[in-house]
Amino acid sequence: MRHAWTIAKNDLSLRARDRSIYIIGLVAPLALAFIFNVVFGGGISDVGETITFEVGIANVDQGPIGAAFEDVIDSIASEGLLTVTTFGSAEAARTAADNGTVGASFILPEGLSDAVLGGADATIEVVGNVDAPTTTQVASSISEQFGIGVRTANLSVATAMASGALSPEQAFAAAGEAGTATPAIEVGSVEAASRQLDSAAYFVAGLSIFFLFFIAGMSITSMLEERREGTLSRLLAAPINRQSIVAGKSLASILIGLASMTVLVIVSSLIMGADWGPPLGVAMLIVGAVLAVTALMTAVGSFAKTPEQAGNLQSIVAVTLGMLGGTFVPIAQEGFLAKLSLLTPNAWFIRGLGDLAGGGISAALPAVLVLLAIAVVAGSIGLVIAGRALRL
Amino acid sequence: MTNSRVLEATGLKKSFGDIHAVRGVSFHISVGETYGLLGPNGAGKTTSISMVSGLLQRDGGEVLLDGQSMTTTSLGPKQDIGLVPQDLAIYPDLTARENLRFFGHLYSMPKAELVKRVDEVLEVVGLADRANDRASEYSGGMKRRLNIGIGLLHRPKLLVLDEPTVGVDPQSRNAILESVEHLSSEGMAVLYTTHYMEEAERLCTRVGIIDQGEIKAEGTRRELVELVGQQDRIRITATGVQESALDELRRLSGVHSVSPSDGSLELLVADAGAVLPEAMRVLGSQHAGVSSVSVEEPDLEAVFLHLTGKALRD
Repeated sequence: MRHAWTIAKNDLSLRARDRSIYIIGLVAPLALAFIFNVVFGGGISDVGETITFEVGIANVDQGPIGAAFEDVIDSIASEGLLTVTTFGSAEAARTAADNGTVGASFILPEGLSDAVLGGADATIEVVGNVDAPTTTQVASSISEQFGIGVRTANLSVATAMASGALSPEQAFAAAGEAGTATPAIEVGSVEAASRQLDSAAYFVAGLSIFFLFFIAGMSITSMLEERREGTLSRLLAAPINRQSIVAGKSLASILIGLASMTVLVIVSSLIMGADWGPPLGVAMLIVGAVLAVTALMTAVGSFAKTPEQAGNLQSIVAVTLGMLGGTFVPIAQEGFLAKLSLLTPNAWFIRGLGDLAGGGISAALPAVLVLLAIAVVAGSIGLVIAGRALRL
Repeated sequence: MTNSRVLEATGLKKSFGDIHAVRGVSFHISVGETYGLLGPNGAGKTTSISMVSGLLQRDGGEVLLDGQSMTTTSLGPKQDIGLVPQDLAIYPDLTARENLRFFGHLYSMPKAELVKRVDEVLEVVGLADRANDRASEYSGGMKRRLNIGIGLLHRPKLLVLDEPTVGVDPQSRNAILESVEHLSSEGMAVLYTTHYMEEAERLCTRVGIIDQGEIKAEGTRRELVELVGQQDRIRITATGVQESALDELRRLSGVHSVSPSDGSLELLVADAGAVLPEAMRVLGSQHAGVSSVSVEEPDLEAVFLHLTGKALRD
């Protein structure tokens, strides 16, 4: 261990003289996080608070179905999810969506109620702004849900008539009630089950762990550079255990990673007002993330024969895991991608910080444990394979 | 094996795929001895010393360093070896002093001793006045000297130098050779590989001629020359040489032949150093006028040519 520390100190000294480490470890993540926060932070509104979408509505129908739809929209708006602007004509609603006054417009055409109550097909038109795809998607989902509710009501009435439970007169009355009743649209809060980070902390967290991959990658690339530069032969000829070399190189990366992450947390708190949560929990997650990422990159880099190969391989892994793990934007909220993201330290680090913000240190423990498990598994593989890099 | 033997390498073998780089190389080095491995590029010199230094796992054979078996994982014997690799093995972003300190720590040198020894080594390799400059600012020769300094920092019993003068200017080269001579005079055993015949002749107590992974012949320079039947050639430019003088020269011990030509004589002798004073005495007593003398000794180049059928730099 003494020799590992000697090698780590030497590596730290060498890297301290290489200015790129300051750019990768501090300047780049902080600058990008600042830019991301400015560009996206206000636009999406703070993560953790209710997201509000701006929509317009033009109810040309003026019948019971149109009125029911307006009730639904008002109901959602009262939850704070929608800001609604009413337009007098379909044309005005379209224009507002086109020019971005609203993110999307609902157009309830004339004769909508008659068509629906008469059993014919009808359409609620959704016009979206090209720059507001999320709002358009939300608007489409609301109109589809409404349509399902109306169809369900109509089907129920038709079934009752067919079975003789309702007379034609009763059925007509029921159909009218069903059509005008507010369908049970479940629009859950956009908030996650656990409270999430504020946008500044989110972006700094994502980018700091993304750049951590490059810092961690230096453990193997440094070893391969020593082989190319000739100094590895001297290390191998010295009376030290070969594992000390791998351990020393990794230790240097771990220390730089810890320093980088810690400084980023402090600076982002002071300058960007990022709220990270309890310091102890943040420290645990940082340690877990640094160990996991260093172990992962050591294992990945061990397959390379030259520093360039290692760099390329590690870049591919860093970007892929970064995208998948939500480094830049939370692209994988559900489905297959969400499951896949759980294979990345990035996702567990960000999830852990979210859990920490919502539920305290104990809530973040699962994420810490997963990160440590990744460190143990990847580290074991890395140590075995790293022997390849230690051959001349 | 005598007690003075620092290194005993026996039957070393190493292959890389189908290429048999080293095929049963054996040699030994004693205290204070400088042993040269002389051979062209690709002869197996670096592979041999890599096995000796514990850098490469050997396929066969044995390496004993001060009686201890050397492997890639044995730590004790490695403490006794100072390796100076052919390629520069220094950190250019560190100063000479920092380079030396780092490697000193790897050899577990006590702090106080290390500080003192670093200063000593900087003096030995002539870098004391540039000790705190980064190695990247050094000339090629200075880097080579630092490379050697790191190897001898921890006072190894055996210093292994792998072609330490490749690409070095004549002045630095001479400084390096003087350093090696100085270390050898202090009792350090040295294993020196080179493809420069002059270096082997100047430095080495014994030389192993290596080619295609095999030691072709081994011994002192004189032994190697005698092995292939080479003789020294003495050329004397003189006037008034009588037939009686020629007869007397032919009768001298160690003289194989005397060939007079126009105004000069050519003597083929076993050892020019022993014969020349006697020859000069004879010519003086016979009142011959000697105007110039030159001696051509058979060199290791000639030995290598004889043994392998090719020149050293082929």
